[in-house]
Amino acid sequence: MTIRTARPDRVQQFHCRMHCLKKLEAMMVEMQDTKSGIKGSEQKLNVTTIPHVISGKDIIAWIANKLKITPEEAEAFGTMLVAYGYIYPLQNHRKLVMCNDASLYRFQTPYFWPTQNWVAEDSDYAIYLAKRNIRKKGVLEPYEQAHYNHLHKWLNHKWDFIVMQATEQYKAGKERKKADRVVFDCQERAYWIVNRPPRRTHSAMDRGPDRLMDPNADENMFYQQAIMRSKVKSSVSLGALVKYTTTYKTHDPFLAPCTPSNPWQTDNDTYWTLNTRSVQVPTKMRVERWSFSFFELLNDLRGRDDFKIFLKKEFSGENLAFWEAAEELKWGTAASMSAKAEIIFKTFLAPGAPRWINIDGRTMGLTVKGLEHPQRYVLEAAQTHVFLLMKKDTFFRYLKSPVYKDIQKKALNPEPHNFSPAQLEQNAQNRSPGIHPMIIWQQEEEEKAKAAAASAPVDVKAMMSKIDRKK
Amino acid sequence: MGKDECKTMLDALNKVTACYRHLVIALGSTSDSQNLREELKKTRKKAQELAVANRTKLTSLLKDKSISKDDRAEYERLWVLFSSSMELLEVDMKRSLEIGQDFPLKVPTRHLIQTGMTGSTTTVAARAMSVQNMKYEADSNIDTTDLRELRSEISQVSQMMEEMEMKVQVAPWAVEAKQEAGAELKSNMSVGNSSVGVISICEEDCGTEPITSLSGPDFYCAECT
Repeated sequence: MTIRTARPDRVQQFHCRMHCLKKLEAMMVEMQDTKSGIKGSEQKLNVTTIPHVISGKDIIAWIANKLKITPEEAEAFGTMLVAYGYIYPLQNHRKLVMCNDASLYRFQTPYFWPTQNWVAEDSDYAIYLAKRNIRKKGVLEPYEQAHYNHLHKWLNHKWDFIVMQATEQYKAGKERKKADRVVFDCQERAYWIVNRPPRRTHSAMDRGPDRLMDPNADENMFYQQAIMRSKVKSSVSLGALVKYTTTYKTHDPFLAPCTPSNPWQTDNDTYWTLNTRSVQVPTKMRVERWSFSFFELLNDLRGRDDFKIFLKKEFSGENLAFWEAAEELKWGTAASMSAKAEIIFKTFLAPGAPRWINIDGRTMGLTVKGLEHPQRYVLEAAQTHVFLLMKKDTFFRYLKSPVYKDIQKKALNPEPHNFSPAQLEQNAQNRSPGIHPMIIWQQEEEEKAKAAAASAPVDVKAMMSKIDRKK
Repeated sequence: MGKDECKTMLDALNKVTACYRHLVIALGSTSDSQNLREELKKTRKKAQELAVANRTKLTSLLKDKSISKDDRAEYERLWVLFSSSMELLEVDMKRSLEIGQDFPLKVPTRHLIQTGMTGSTTTVAARAMSVQNMKYEADSNIDTTDLRELRSEISQVSQMMEEMEMKVQVAPWAVEAKQEAGAELKSNMSVGNSSVGVISICEEDCGTEPITSLSGPDFYCAECT
């Protein structure tokens, strides 16, 4: 089977998408307009006259006029047109630039335009080189000769075909009139200079993984950044890893059996019912987990509730309320962000606010400034500060508090199930779908509403005045 | 003999492919015209006829189990020639479809690229069709109707090539070329029109050593007209 390029070529070659090509083609067509395009003249060679020759300065003037850009930009644009192969120079044919003077250029035929789908094939190049060999009677340029030898080796199986095609194409070319023959030769030569650039020239069509100039090859920057990175000693990081594994190993459902039984294995969902989000009495394992770190406590919503009860007793609930409000801002919708930011500012941050949080002056300044343009992470600094406050102080008091000790005592420790195979069968048959998530969500929403109403900001002044009035 | 027939037919296909390429290169330029589109169509049809003929001939030859090893190697070489021709033809056909669509002829203002080529391609087409003069009889909306046909022809050709791949097990890389580097220089360049049946390239006269160990009859025959 041949490796054919006419088939959808998914892997063999990488063609970058060149979005500019369609636009350039449209522009090339516009240039042809008899009224508003570029005026061509004639080129006189020895005996033949070839029409449709344009001068560099005409092209540049037209481009500058059409695109409304400066002549320098137009010159650069023109050079790109030449480099891509839409226009080719007649005089210095190897130098693919557009000069803003009387140097002569001609348009390239659409067959030889750069296209997305068709890549300049090696076999076509070989045929071209063979034709050139015939025309030049064996004297090729050194780089062409090198390519020729290389292709003769690698395309050897097709070489007969290449020779045959080359001779036939050469003969067919002779059927055209002399002027056209000259033009055709120029066209082909220009095409192959663009697509197989001579040694030590840089082609604009350089793209794909084999390109010569790689803009990403900035190794120096990479090494500099690597040096600047801070490195942790492995003794330290391994110590942390060991600590983590010893703490959590009894809680990992793969390493330790979960009590009472793993629902996936025994089809008995007691484990899940005991560990729902808003269960009254949590399990012992769950409560133990809260003591591992403050992060665990806050992440488990049941733990957060317990913590809230403790804080209510201590009258220091504003920190946690602020933290929760900041979380809501982070995860909420973009539309509600500015409204939420306003509320948070009024409730927690403004001087004399009902639930004013005690953060240091610098963080407060930064946050207030950021709130002028609210975005998702504007409260990040304040939130971290509050988190650390709670962690370093309140958390340890919580662990020693009667609230926690109470819940520890009350926590359930279910007995592990021991099902016989017959019972397992029965379990499997008695599987029920469980509570619909929508119902759980609705319950949570109701509870949230109740909690919000109950824990409305405690206005100290109003409280005091009430106490005064009572007196 | 089967082999000679094959060779003549392959030569014809080769010639038609070369001429087709010349014609496609002229598409979209100032030498594009109604006539060119018709020439393309005719050349294409001829190419397809030759392709089908070649394919049937070569497949039957290759399927024949009783041929000698040398013969088989020779046929494989011919097969590679044939499939390379077909690949070239397919690419050119697809490109002519694209360019033909981009440069329609039946629009009020034609914008053909002023490439400097102004002559007609009649002689090239005549060479392909191996006639003295081309006759043009197409109607005026050739560009649109032709493109429709072209699409179906392209799919036909693709199908044919896939079938070829499936049915004939020839490893192209195993074929060794008979021409050494620079072989095209030694050919006898005859400029005049040559008719289809005869190949005018004389390689063996000059004693070019084939670089393979194949000792079968050589591809290029020594007669020229």
